[in-house]
Amino acid sequence: MAKSDDCVHILQGLLVFGNVVIGMCGIALTAECIYFVSNPHGLYPLVKATENSDINAAAWIGIFVGLALFALSILGIIGVIKASRTLLMLYIILMLITFAFEMASCITAVTHRDSLTPELFLKQMLERYQNSGPGNNSDNEVTKTWDELMLQNHCCGVQGPSDWQEYTSAFRLTHSDADYPWPWNCCILDAQGLPLNLDGCKLGVPGYYNSNGCYNAVSGPLNTHAWGVAWFGFAILCWTFCVLLGTMFYWSGIDY
Amino acid sequence: TMLPLLLLLLPAAQGIVQLGYRPALTKEPPLEGLTTASTFVVDQPRCVFQDYRNAVIWLVVALEQAVSSFNNTAGPGTPETAFQGFPYPVRAYMTLNTTLDSYPCPKPDGDITVLRVGSETSCAEDERRPTCNGPLPGPGPYQVKFLALEGSVPVAETAWSLPITLRTAKPPSSISTAGSGHSADMIAITTILSILFAILLAALVAMLFFWGSDSCGSSSTFSKPESVTVRRYNTHHVYDQPAARL
Repeated sequence: MAKSDDCVHILQGLLVFGNVVIGMCGIALTAECIYFVSNPHGLYPLVKATENSDINAAAWIGIFVGLALFALSILGIIGVIKASRTLLMLYIILMLITFAFEMASCITAVTHRDSLTPELFLKQMLERYQNSGPGNNSDNEVTKTWDELMLQNHCCGVQGPSDWQEYTSAFRLTHSDADYPWPWNCCILDAQGLPLNLDGCKLGVPGYYNSNGCYNAVSGPLNTHAWGVAWFGFAILCWTFCVLLGTMFYWSGIDY
Repeated sequence: TMLPLLLLLLPAAQGIVQLGYRPALTKEPPLEGLTTASTFVVDQPRCVFQDYRNAVIWLVVALEQAVSSFNNTAGPGTPETAFQGFPYPVRAYMTLNTTLDSYPCPKPDGDITVLRVGSETSCAEDERRPTCNGPLPGPGPYQVKFLALEGSVPVAETAWSLPITLRTAKPPSSISTAGSGHSADMIAITTILSILFAILLAALVAMLFFWGSDSCGSSSTFSKPESVTVRRYNTHHVYDQPAARL
């Protein structure tokens, strides 16, 4: 008997500990997803312009799942200590639903991240940057984002300034190739925002223009976003899986 | 008497001096904009026209097919060599005229001495500027040479450059954005999570169907916290027995 009671206590202790960890991880997940949703690197307009903002939806789901995990972990702790079958059944059902949502969020985040290839951004940049057609708001957003990106990261185009030469673009329609082989934001600018040496920039003399592509500056934050949502969520779910199995085992041992 | 006469005739028939220099695209420093869709960059002819201090040096830009038919006596700034008529009917135009002062010799170290052919966009349509260095209208191929004129008489020329072809831009619709397949991460996350979820659902079903099965390895079940210790359980029974007897 004593052995069985010790066994019960150990199981209860483990389950309480498991739920405490789930609660804390839930809060952490909510905080992390709020951070991503707040668009810290200003890349959201580019993602939105790809007409598929699943990666953002995944972060939003993450916020609510995190709060749900925290609430459910408290329910779980109470249910385990009271050994109440009703509470624990409710806990298990709700946890399974939360598990399903979080699973959807993880898979969505990582799938969408896979679709954000350099080619996608290249095509979007060529078609929308400085598109002076009938006022399209999202194109202005894209233009502003790219200008900021090129200015702050000292880069040009997606793979390099040659993007502007290899392909025609909306930019090329309004800016002649001889005057603007690439946008002037690709030039190294002085304190007033004017190119340091315009001829040097047009010729492509090393030192007067940005020769790197911006793809690394775009993919870095997006990767952090996707991996942060997907892999952290995956880790939480693995832990939750163990706690749920333990809870089911505990539930089936409670006597009414 | 024939020999001196022949010798007198030969120098007069010499005409234009063929310099050994061949214009070429700039190799040093490496330039990103060496050739664009409408411009290209060649080296300046430094230390080439040293013997022609009084000449004006012109750049002749010709379509590859028109190289052999170019006439050195064609005057610059005439409709036959005007940029605005290029490439049809004008097959070769003359531009970028300077005196030798613009090409001092020797070239100072560290200076970038290049000529960008096609950089003047303001005069491209202006018929009053036939010697405009306007943007090239197509990908070419083009060949260039330098020609020194004293007054209107050509005195020296360089060799024709090798054919220069400019870049052709493709439309963005030619970029294929079809996904490159799924990454290993996505497959791992999806399969593992699906398996975990399936196990949980199976466990839930098992739990509901096989209600009240063994716990903690022994065959006894445990009761609610009000009677959680063995001692209290026994006490409960002790109280019951006298009541039953009564």
